[in-house]
Amino acid sequence: MENKHMGTEVEAAAHPLAETARMFIKNKAAVLGLIVLFVIILIAIFGPIFYTTDPEDMVWMAYSPPGEEGFLFGTDYLGRDLLAQMMQGARVSILVGLSAAFMTVFIGITVGALAGFYQGIVEEILMRITEFFQVLPTLLFSMVIVALFGASLPMITIAIGAVSWTAVARITRAEFMRIRSLEYVAAARAIGAKNNRLMFRVILPNALPPIIVQAALMVGSAILFEAGLSFLNLSDPNIISWGRIIGDNRVNILDSSFAVTIPGIAIFITVLAISLVGDGLNDAFNPKLRGR
Amino acid sequence: MEPLLSVKDLKIEFDTRYGRVTALDGASFDIHPGETLGVVGESGCGKSITALAIMGLIPSPPGILAGGSIKYQGEELTTAPEQRLRQLRGGEISMIFQEPMTSLNPVFKVGDQIAETIMLHQGSSKDEAMDKAVELLRVVGIPEPTRRASSYPHELSGGMRQRVMIAIAISCQPQILIADEPTTALDVTVQAQIFELMREIQEEFGVAIMMITHDMGAIAEMADRVAVMYAGKIIEEGKADDILDFPGHPYTKGLIGCIPALGKASASAQTLPPLAEIPGVVPPLHLLGKGCAFADRCNEAHDACKVSPQLKGSPHAVACHAYRGDVA
Amino acid sequence: MKFLKPTLERLSYAILLLIAVLILNFSMLHLAPGDIADTISQSMGGADAETMEQIRRDYGLDQPFIVQLGQYVWKVLHFDLGYSFFYNQPVTTLILAKLPATLLLVITSQVVALVVGVLLGVYSARKPNGLASHFVTLVALFGYAAPVFWTGLLLLIAFSLKIPLFPVAGMIDVTVEGGFFAKAFDIARHMVLPVIALSSIFFALYSRLCRASMMEVLGSDYIRTAKAKGLSESKIVLKHALKNSLSPVVTLAGLQFSAVISGAVLVEAVFSWPGLGTLAFSAIIERDTPTILGILFFSALVVIVGNLLTDLVLRLIDPRIRRKG
Repeated sequence: MENKHMGTEVEAAAHPLAETARMFIKNKAAVLGLIVLFVIILIAIFGPIFYTTDPEDMVWMAYSPPGEEGFLFGTDYLGRDLLAQMMQGARVSILVGLSAAFMTVFIGITVGALAGFYQGIVEEILMRITEFFQVLPTLLFSMVIVALFGASLPMITIAIGAVSWTAVARITRAEFMRIRSLEYVAAARAIGAKNNRLMFRVILPNALPPIIVQAALMVGSAILFEAGLSFLNLSDPNIISWGRIIGDNRVNILDSSFAVTIPGIAIFITVLAISLVGDGLNDAFNPKLRGR
Repeated sequence: MEPLLSVKDLKIEFDTRYGRVTALDGASFDIHPGETLGVVGESGCGKSITALAIMGLIPSPPGILAGGSIKYQGEELTTAPEQRLRQLRGGEISMIFQEPMTSLNPVFKVGDQIAETIMLHQGSSKDEAMDKAVELLRVVGIPEPTRRASSYPHELSGGMRQRVMIAIAISCQPQILIADEPTTALDVTVQAQIFELMREIQEEFGVAIMMITHDMGAIAEMADRVAVMYAGKIIEEGKADDILDFPGHPYTKGLIGCIPALGKASASAQTLPPLAEIPGVVPPLHLLGKGCAFADRCNEAHDACKVSPQLKGSPHAVACHAYRGDVA
Repeated sequence: MKFLKPTLERLSYAILLLIAVLILNFSMLHLAPGDIADTISQSMGGADAETMEQIRRDYGLDQPFIVQLGQYVWKVLHFDLGYSFFYNQPVTTLILAKLPATLLLVITSQVVALVVGVLLGVYSARKPNGLASHFVTLVALFGYAAPVFWTGLLLLIAFSLKIPLFPVAGMIDVTVEGGFFAKAFDIARHMVLPVIALSSIFFALYSRLCRASMMEVLGSDYIRTAKAKGLSESKIVLKHALKNSLSPVVTLAGLQFSAVISGAVLVEAVFSWPGLGTLAFSAIIERDTPTILGILFFSALVVIVGNLLTDLVLRLIDPRIRRKG
């Protein structure tokens, strides 16, 4: 009886990351999301290398439905191969999604960490700034940025990053405030750790789980964001992206409903996969919250 | 005398991640009109489950009523329709809980929360019920009852909130009041006031009280009769005086030993070391074996304890192989 | 009276936020390549250097940054957001003409999302493993992952092109004649698809949160008390539990105002809804900077007012917040 009890405790004391991975793998939806994401990334990287039709070339009549004349997804309003366009668009969506999310997380962690660590006047000012950015309607604000400063891909990334970091900042701050009062932080301080070390070596690693989950979700919303901007024709006119394909083809929407539907499905599946992975990570990091 | 409430062989199981466990294993006891039955034991021994079972509030799933009967004035409650149980709850049988801080709904005024019960069970109008609610607040000793009736719970102290809970519980003149650790979360001085209030109410309304506690001191103060529970079973039962003076089960002895100076019990308590403690903890329910559940912690345990003892004797019943009958 | 002090505090903070929006607006304008003179000369079809200089003097562009900023804030406080050279109207007039359509769309969508979301959330909380619960999870995933403009387009294809139930675009059919009710019905018909599209993002959010908070509340001590009183299941859920589980939902809804406006911009673009989003879109295409900045200012104003209202509603629902202020 005693031994059996001990046994479960030893099991639970395995490396926390291994435990997280084990919990994650048990979550079928999350694993499915991860696989789908992996496949999409493979297509984005290798698709255009193997499928060499130029997405800008007019190869056939406009609005040829999927499957006809060997065009798997059909052709768009200019008679360009939709499949080639989709693969090109995948690159843009994922690139913008990842880099905007990276920027979001970078700004968010910096602001949140400083606010949560120093507290007092620093926190007051930073959190007021955060609230200020929450008041601006994100899409309108980034539309303004893009309109005033140009619609290049880096500018779009900056515009998305500049408006969506507030959630990460709030989460980071909350985690920092929770962790900074724990014993091991006091212990690290007692043996003479400097503030920088405390912030980024002691507290940050322990604050990471919810930030990672949020970062994953940020990739998804950045992809949606980019799609929205390019749907409105506000992105770089020379760059094909999923949102842009929808925006361009909606002119004759009855003829081209497939050309509107297919990129939408692609966005939907990608963002859905990311969110499943995010949920899975969340559950894996907080096994106690499962079943809620 | 016909018992008001009669519980026979009540068995309750729970589905847990360790499989199905028995939270209450064949408990039997009676409550007579106007008396106070103390149910005592450590947390997790099945006291609160028993109370919830009487109220018909065992959360299901995961709880399962696996057997036995609960009779109120001869009426079987375990098979009664939900409709009938709702009539009894709050009307004939009412309950106060351990956590006064969280047991009142934070978003409604306390007056409304009392009046709600009155309107429900007595069909009073809103105005009548509110007048009665104010009167009840006065009865339970809340100053400025008219003003307090329009306070929200967070504006009251813990002791006040427990008084409000008592006001709700007695609002429809119930026959039985189940008090589940009513003072555990309160200051010692407030505890004494709440006990005093409960005794006054018992005298005034003649209500029978089932008093659940882990504190033998509270038993000494309040109870006429006592049932001691351990790991889902009643292990000792009898008159409060008998049990406090001549505890039969080693566990009961231990519980009594945990109290500093226990008025009536001081004679026998002197033979025990002052402030003794019971070594170990209650075993988790899923690890219970066939033998006496207390054997691991018992210094009188011997070979016979590998078989679970039966509750024997009347009126003072004890479930222990080492027990040789009342000394008196 | 209990409301007054915290409300005043919030109000003064809201005004500070608005001034901050103005400063941001102006700084962006200042940093951006090109200025009003360029815009005007563009709309005039080009101007020589001397005229450009004249325009810059007229608009005070030769003044230092801080003076210009002061003048800008001063003008906005007098409801003067500048002049749109493209529309040949004061920006304030322009925006006020379009604001009601956007508010109608945004508020209706939020109300629909809240009502449907809460109903579904409550229903599924009572049967956590039931059909409704799985439906909520599914719809929540869809609402989160589907781009709102795409949802709008699919609705458009399905319910106004393939099956012509609803109008394709706009807000009012000018050919509809009749009294107030005929006109209101016409607007309602135009609203159905945009409102479904816009609320689809949010109602999933609300139902998921409502389900979670409802399940938490249903397990709380005061619900056990309510059961011990003998109250019926429906009274417990609809009276005791619902009021408690609403506050997180309302809080979340309050935080969504800025997201709702962003969503409205896209939905308006899909359904040619004559609101601020459509105005912003064409202003950006026409490089009509005063109008763009005016819209940003107004939408921030809407968000701030929305937050103030949310705060008020929360105080009404939960007495505990009143004391904390």
